[in-house]
Amino acid sequence: MSEPEVLFCLHFLGGSARSWEPLARALAGTPLTCVPVDLPGFGDAAGTPGYSVAAMADHVAESIRARAPARFGIAGHSMGAKVALALARRAEDGEAGLTGLTDLILVSGSPPSPEPIPEDRRAEMLAWIDADPETRRREAQAFVRANVGDRLDPETEERAVADVLRAAPAAWKAWLEAGANEDWCRRVGVLRTPALILAGSEDADLGPDAQQALTAPHLAHHRLVTVDGVGHLLPLERPAALADGLRAHFDDRPRRPVEAAPTVAPDYAALIASERVNGRLRQALAERAAPDDPAYRPAALDPVELAILRAALARVMPVPHLDLAARLDRRLASGAGDGWRFSALPPDADAYRAALRTLDAAARAAQGRPFTTLDAPRQDALLTLCQRGDLTVPDALGGRLDADRMRFWFEDLRADAVRLWLGHPAALARIGFSGIGAGGDRPGEIADGLPGFHAVGLDAPEPWEPQTLQTEAGR
Amino acid sequence: MNLAGMRTYRADDVVDAVVVGTGAGGAPLLARLAAAGLRVVALEAGPNFTPERFAFDETLADEIYWTDERLSGGATPEAFGANNSGTGVGGSTLHWGAFVPRADTRDLRLHTETGEGVDWPLTYEDLLPFYERVERFLGVSGAPSYPWDAGRRYPLPPVPRNGPAEIMARACEARGIRWADAPAAVVSQDFQSEDGPRRNACINCGFCHQGCRTGAKASMDVTYLPYAVARGAEIRAEAFVHGLERAADGRVTGVVYRQDGEDRRQRCGAVFLCAGAVETPRLLLNLGLANSSGQIGRNYMGHVATQVWGTFDNEVRMNRGYPSSLITEDFIRAGADFAGGYLIQSLGVVPVTFGNAVARGRGLWGKPLLDYLDRYNRLAGIGINGETLPCDANVLTLADETDAHGMRKAHISFGYGTNEDRLNAHATKVMRGLWEEAGAEDIWVLERVAHTLGTCRMGRDGSSAVVDPHGRSFDIDNLWICDGSTFPSSLAANPALTIMALSLRSAEAFLAGRA
Repeated sequence: MSEPEVLFCLHFLGGSARSWEPLARALAGTPLTCVPVDLPGFGDAAGTPGYSVAAMADHVAESIRARAPARFGIAGHSMGAKVALALARRAEDGEAGLTGLTDLILVSGSPPSPEPIPEDRRAEMLAWIDADPETRRREAQAFVRANVGDRLDPETEERAVADVLRAAPAAWKAWLEAGANEDWCRRVGVLRTPALILAGSEDADLGPDAQQALTAPHLAHHRLVTVDGVGHLLPLERPAALADGLRAHFDDRPRRPVEAAPTVAPDYAALIASERVNGRLRQALAERAAPDDPAYRPAALDPVELAILRAALARVMPVPHLDLAARLDRRLASGAGDGWRFSALPPDADAYRAALRTLDAAARAAQGRPFTTLDAPRQDALLTLCQRGDLTVPDALGGRLDADRMRFWFEDLRADAVRLWLGHPAALARIGFSGIGAGGDRPGEIADGLPGFHAVGLDAPEPWEPQTLQTEAGR
Repeated sequence: MNLAGMRTYRADDVVDAVVVGTGAGGAPLLARLAAAGLRVVALEAGPNFTPERFAFDETLADEIYWTDERLSGGATPEAFGANNSGTGVGGSTLHWGAFVPRADTRDLRLHTETGEGVDWPLTYEDLLPFYERVERFLGVSGAPSYPWDAGRRYPLPPVPRNGPAEIMARACEARGIRWADAPAAVVSQDFQSEDGPRRNACINCGFCHQGCRTGAKASMDVTYLPYAVARGAEIRAEAFVHGLERAADGRVTGVVYRQDGEDRRQRCGAVFLCAGAVETPRLLLNLGLANSSGQIGRNYMGHVATQVWGTFDNEVRMNRGYPSSLITEDFIRAGADFAGGYLIQSLGVVPVTFGNAVARGRGLWGKPLLDYLDRYNRLAGIGINGETLPCDANVLTLADETDAHGMRKAHISFGYGTNEDRLNAHATKVMRGLWEEAGAEDIWVLERVAHTLGTCRMGRDGSSAVVDPHGRSFDIDNLWICDGSTFPSSLAANPALTIMALSLRSAEAFLAGRA
């Protein structure tokens, strides 16, 4: 994949096209041209209406079409990242003029889900934007300073403050009251476009944890890079580091891994191919063995919930290269249940959604971090609480299922996981299961002459039966 | 099954009887009524499968389980679906285990014996001729002499003992417990079904619960149903019954069902509900019929079906052979502190079923789960089927949620009482002892509930029972119920054989009433 010709750059709340000038300078002499865009209500577009995410995306789409590049990237910073993700969905859906999208660069991005801004900060920011000029100036400076790791150089800071003051207050308020809260999680879905996610280690709300939990689930092929010492305004704070990050990304894009799937031992594959196995089963095993699509777009869950489910399943059923979460989502979406559910739980898909959100809320309550970012022992500790019926979450954090219900759900999760795993030929091979070889294809309603098993007593395997594992555990 | 050339009836023909459900309750009486020359139509909610579908795989077998959702509550929520509920022409017998002990004489008069539970309104002697007819017709294989019933003879020699059965036999021998090759409705020799297919001797594939490919297992689609069709019965598949039409006098005049997306009806002189102990009461409760006793849905019962598992030095390969090929009835009366008793069977289970039990029941996950599954070929189990007493707290009601047909879903509340807890503790100790005797390592106990029984109990008195001792409704005299829902108490025996015997008995009563 070659580099894009241009990189459309979408600024943060209170920024403008000017916010990207330091990056453009840092990239000077490279083939990549930055094309910063003023979003409606900001910079030179302060008078342009249309502050919703969709309207901002339309505005950017016009700029892209006007320039009509064959290949382009989009860099979005904070607010601009949400717009970039909305555009990427349109591009991947084949919208005319956008299909040349090659890369996404998301800097301290506001995620597709409603942005986790603390209510008091939101209220404060809404209060001063309409105040007297002196208050506005003071607060704008405080806003810029609150969003950086180390203080910006005076000139950069002055321009940043000036941009904030240039913004249409209506646009500022529209983002805080509406745009940031718009839920694009399902609409954005899971994107295939290679993406670089950058986060500042000192970013209060949209740092690496938030990016991991809320942005990464939307990007099948991404790399998440944390820049130490940086706050929320990487393009202003460390344009050289941002430029380095871009170069590294274009040198080595996150790629689709080699078609990965659990391998079936050769002897077992030969059994499957043999006439001892019937055609319907052989085909089903082949389908189950097919690699999962890394960009699987969930239908029952949303992408954020799917990521939590993946993380939980990695603990419950640690088998590599098998996306049990996607397979489970597909089943939930199909509505094909197993004939019953615990009456304490809502319908399966609702139960899964609520339980995964509860698990995540419990992680935030106990560890101050999303579930997907916790290390294995901490994830296990929470799942153990689920199993014991001891997982409780403060209501304020969005506890949706109580401890008893989480215990029921966790039982269902274990059962669903083991069922999916043991349907896979790699699992059957691993446990040395001979049952698939009891009979092949025969014509007619009732099969004549199937081999079955002749000796069925102890210690009398037939020569064709797969080996029992001789591992310690297999003893 | 092959329905080509089957006799068919028109919707406005007034057939003698409509049978709702084609499993163990519906099929035998359908056959008997057809043989008597009656015009009979069976309506089956599920599809018509042929054994060619059955593919030696648990996931592919989902299609033969009843997967419309039920809500399971109470202290011991019971699993449905693959655990006990089937769909398709043949009903749950497509996936049943075909383990066919008869009821013990004493279990039918439990209240007289112990003061607990209830007596059945019929005796073992009433059932015996029907048991024998069913066993002959199905081709039941079993021990040449049955230790707990000297006179009993099975038509066919037993199926081979598999790994778990050998282990259990060894352990029973050492502990002085009598054992026998299990009575199994699986033919150990090639067997010609009367007016049905030639069924091949069991090939020991171990997939009884996923549908039998060779016809060895006596599911209704290779036994009673072909016989019924040969004698003029019509079977309509994918016909979901959701209404009953009645005349001014309250008698049923027609059955309303949904097929191919439209509501249809079949006029009839009588209806037999044979949809199982969940769907039968659910239909009647949704319709508000036949319930002057207030008993519909009450006294729901599942069997205490606890299992004990262990790891052995041997290569057991428990998937091979008939899964439950050994039985002991020594504990039908244990002389302990509870009423009734239990039987013990050896167990071999296929991987998904086993993994589900381990994940749910043993609570393993992560690496310990994977490591334990790796032992699959060295594992063996034993399990019980134990008496459950009828109890007020155990009840099927209608949930607020509706299904795809707009009918309210069933909510089943089930939990053990003191008697079940005591029986379970006793059985667990006995099974642990057996597995210790056999040299098992890493022994663990799986709590499990099996079968669906009760909810439309039979009795002698219409104020406390839904149907009479022949299965006829006290409220609507041309409405009959013939399935596990009429059981007044659970019995220790697995229920299907008794359901079939009751089905033939109901048919005889129905025919006698017309004569």
